[in-house]
Amino acid sequence: MTDESSGIGPPSASSIRPYLARHGDGPAQQADDGDDPNVSPLRPYLLTAGRSEPIDDTLEIEAQVLTNQLDAASAERLAFEHRDIVTLCATPVSVAEVAAKLRLHIGVARVLVADLAAAGYLVVRRPSSGLPEDLDMIEKVIRGLQDIR
Amino acid sequence: MDFKTYVEPTGREHRPPTPVKIVISGGFGVGKTTAVSAISEIPPLSTEAAITSVAAQIDRIGEVPAKTTTTVALDFGCITIDRDLKLYLFGTPGQDRFGFMWQDLSRGALGALVIVDTRRLDDCYPAVDYFEQIGLPHVVAINCFDGVLAHDLDDVRWALAISNDTPLITFDARDKLSVRDALLAVLRRTRDHAKERMLNRYRT
Repeated sequence: MTDESSGIGPPSASSIRPYLARHGDGPAQQADDGDDPNVSPLRPYLLTAGRSEPIDDTLEIEAQVLTNQLDAASAERLAFEHRDIVTLCATPVSVAEVAAKLRLHIGVARVLVADLAAAGYLVVRRPSSGLPEDLDMIEKVIRGLQDIR
Repeated sequence: MDFKTYVEPTGREHRPPTPVKIVISGGFGVGKTTAVSAISEIPPLSTEAAITSVAAQIDRIGEVPAKTTTTVALDFGCITIDRDLKLYLFGTPGQDRFGFMWQDLSRGALGALVIVDTRRLDDCYPAVDYFEQIGLPHVVAINCFDGVLAHDLDDVRWALAISNDTPLITFDARDKLSVRDALLAVLRRTRDHAKERMLNRYRT
């Protein structure tokens, strides 16, 4: 195995938090394949304490995440990625945005968001289950799009 | 209750919007990211998802180097409909060897837009097949890069072998309003499906 993925060396020491370093500057790269050098070299299990499945492994990537204001103060006690997520979600964002903005693997973002929600730091709004058949909802989206000029 | 971890909010504003999504699909380099950028209110974001061992087996032999773990970029954007509703656009990863991810992307989606380049028609087959299989309302949209379609729409429909009730449209992935209209075509299809299902339920 000469593959770069076999490297277990120490993560490159960057003192800049990922979301500060590259916070949505410009369109994302077109590249459809992997090996993005900007992705954290930390192996995912280091961030999730060895778990790879979120508490609720069905958490949708479009699920909306918002910091629970009741707990914003105690977020000071959180470390690293946990605190970054709580800071980022001051306005509602999706799990996918958490992953993209913090340069986390989508699976890692799912685990961390589920953990923080279970601990009461985040409020999560998941898509409603009967959505594709909800005519009122569909009409609302149609009207919203029609308003785009 | 759809939001399991929902805590009683202190104010009305402290309530995340309901997310809905449309899947943007098609072959590699067909204009998916272009279409998302044209209409998204945020610059399209990209995130990584892993290819599972199951997916690794789908790799066509010879086409993919002997690399068993890799990641795939997932592009997406969003449009705020109103304070309580946000529409997400998720582009499926370009190559059909990443098809396994479509299940995740399609679950709960309102519908799908399959973008087609007439120079590489067969690139969109996996997408069309998949959405037909799972019964997700979809529209096939030919991306006319120069605004002109070099073929007859009926010829393209024949070549694609898509069913007669699947809408086939032309659009320009670079143009915001054109993308908007393509998404509206998807939603009208979604609405028709929802109505049909409702009628069927009344009949039985």
